[in-house]
Amino acid sequence: MNVKKIIALLLALVLVGSMAACGNKPAENQSSNSGEPKTVEEAKALYDQLMAQETEILSANSELWEKVFLVADKGMAMVEDGNNYGDFLLKTIEKAKDQFTEDELKLLTEGATEIKGIEDKLAALEEKFPDLLDNPSGGMSVPSEDVPSDGIVSGGTTADNSNAPKFPAFTGKDLDGNDVSSDKLFGGNAFTVVNFWFTTCKPCVGELGDLDTLNKELAGKGGAVVGINAFTLNGDASAISDAKDVLAKKGATYQNVYFDADSEAGKFTENVYAYPTTYVVDRNGNIVGDPIVGATSEAQATALQALIDKALAADKG
Amino acid sequence: MDKKTSGVSHLLARFRGWIQAGATLLTNIHLPNFLKGGLYQGKGKAVCVPGLNCYSCPAASGACPIGSFQAVVGSSKFRFSYYITGFLILLGVLLGRVICGFLCPFGWFQELLHKIPTKKLSTKKLKPLTYLKYVVLLVMVVLLPVLVTNQLGMGDPFFCKYLCPQGVLEGAIPLSLANAGIRAALGSLFRWKFIVLLTVIVLSIVFYRPFCKWLCPLGAFYALLNKVSLFQMQVDQSKCVSCGKCAKVCKMDVDVTKSPNHTECIRCGMCIRACPTDAVSFRYGFGSGKQKSKTEQTTTEVKTEESK
Repeated sequence: MNVKKIIALLLALVLVGSMAACGNKPAENQSSNSGEPKTVEEAKALYDQLMAQETEILSANSELWEKVFLVADKGMAMVEDGNNYGDFLLKTIEKAKDQFTEDELKLLTEGATEIKGIEDKLAALEEKFPDLLDNPSGGMSVPSEDVPSDGIVSGGTTADNSNAPKFPAFTGKDLDGNDVSSDKLFGGNAFTVVNFWFTTCKPCVGELGDLDTLNKELAGKGGAVVGINAFTLNGDASAISDAKDVLAKKGATYQNVYFDADSEAGKFTENVYAYPTTYVVDRNGNIVGDPIVGATSEAQATALQALIDKALAADKG
Repeated sequence: MDKKTSGVSHLLARFRGWIQAGATLLTNIHLPNFLKGGLYQGKGKAVCVPGLNCYSCPAASGACPIGSFQAVVGSSKFRFSYYITGFLILLGVLLGRVICGFLCPFGWFQELLHKIPTKKLSTKKLKPLTYLKYVVLLVMVVLLPVLVTNQLGMGDPFFCKYLCPQGVLEGAIPLSLANAGIRAALGSLFRWKFIVLLTVIVLSIVFYRPFCKWLCPLGAFYALLNKVSLFQMQVDQSKCVSCGKCAKVCKMDVDVTKSPNHTECIRCGMCIRACPTDAVSFRYGFGSGKQKSKTEQTTTEVKTEESK
């Protein structure tokens, strides 16, 4: 009967493990970032850590931050050159303070102040290690000539992720039959929000309208939304007409593209198993940060906004 | 001949745990995916597995029939899935709830939990709850995904989304452990379903297979077909001494001598092992055995009543 006990124990461990997975771990991040970095690698690691912290702050109360961003989108200019992102957030919060309760305001202000501190550190790091902006993180297998000054963002936040930071280059077509190449597609925008979806995925379809709104919003900032419908790879005619039908019904007018399933990008798509998944890709085809899994119109809107802000800041900087 | 089948029955009943383990492994053969945090998306996923096993389990070899059914009827193109229903009827006729007893990974999971030594409670008095699973099947699996839809006629897989604890256990937990993006996507829905899973786990320790008895829509489907399934229980009335041990030992609250094809019977064979005269055995195939035992059964019932 020992087997039974062992099994029971294993199950208990699984249970404990699963509970542990739910807790977030900001404490870990904070404990290890003391001490000045000496080498570029160390600075790089610290940089990544600070970025991760920022995302953590923003995603902790994503609903509140979402409100803040809503206000920001309407009235204010986005982060300007040299401006502290935390300052920007504080200003926005101040502007929208009548929308929040006192507790919420306190939470937001604290978060923004923290971000301000982090941004200051980031700026200091950038100043001290100008190389930081020229090199992606050490372990990445990116040919350095492909990574120009704004490679920092992609190298930065994907350091803890084994994914290649480059979005695989592709040539294909959009759903209207026009030729598309990734170089031109990404190169034409400061950043591109790439949304993976498929026609019968309800949460994917649910956010198409929001993505269209986002696309229009981003146009003014040099960004664009591009959809990749997994069903349309290889250009299957009926899949394309289904996809176009759904897009039309949801009033989505932004570009949707496809390519061969055997291509690198096709394999990349095959590995996307949670739908929708949204990437932010910079001008040079580098993936910015970690992909957003799940509909971006809901709790993940803040995370997407943070990625966009970072991509934009890097493109300008 | 009789001896031989009862020998096979004993063997099946005895090694059921190992068969369950083997079935669970075969149902989830792509084990390395647990570490990679991805899903197997090959051709196997076009076929349903017999038991309740989440499509989104990284190791899953096939699709969950209940999940697939909801995915099809919830899509804008279809209102009913003939392919999956046909597949389930076929399995139900060929095997019936022997799938619950021998092949279902979530059934095995609950049984393992039940082995944790604590005070065990009987579910006999909770019999009305066994009808709940038919409601779950009808409402959450068949009706809601078709009726509650968005403007494009797409519905949600209500059972998977709001109730199924197997989805959390096999899908959400391992995927979120291995993948930061998915971890970030966890929200209130995950919390709710995690509570459901915890509740099922706690109940499974105290009760025997609570989810199978009360909630499982797949079990409900197979239960309906249990009556006409080729895999059945057989009670040899000439051997039966009416000692009542079979009914006493049955954790699904069935009296095999009275209703060998009861909807709740998962063919676990505990009655076979408990029977002192080897009167109970599995039976497979067509034939008059059932008819015969039924007439005999009525006469014995009359007799017992007379003897009272």
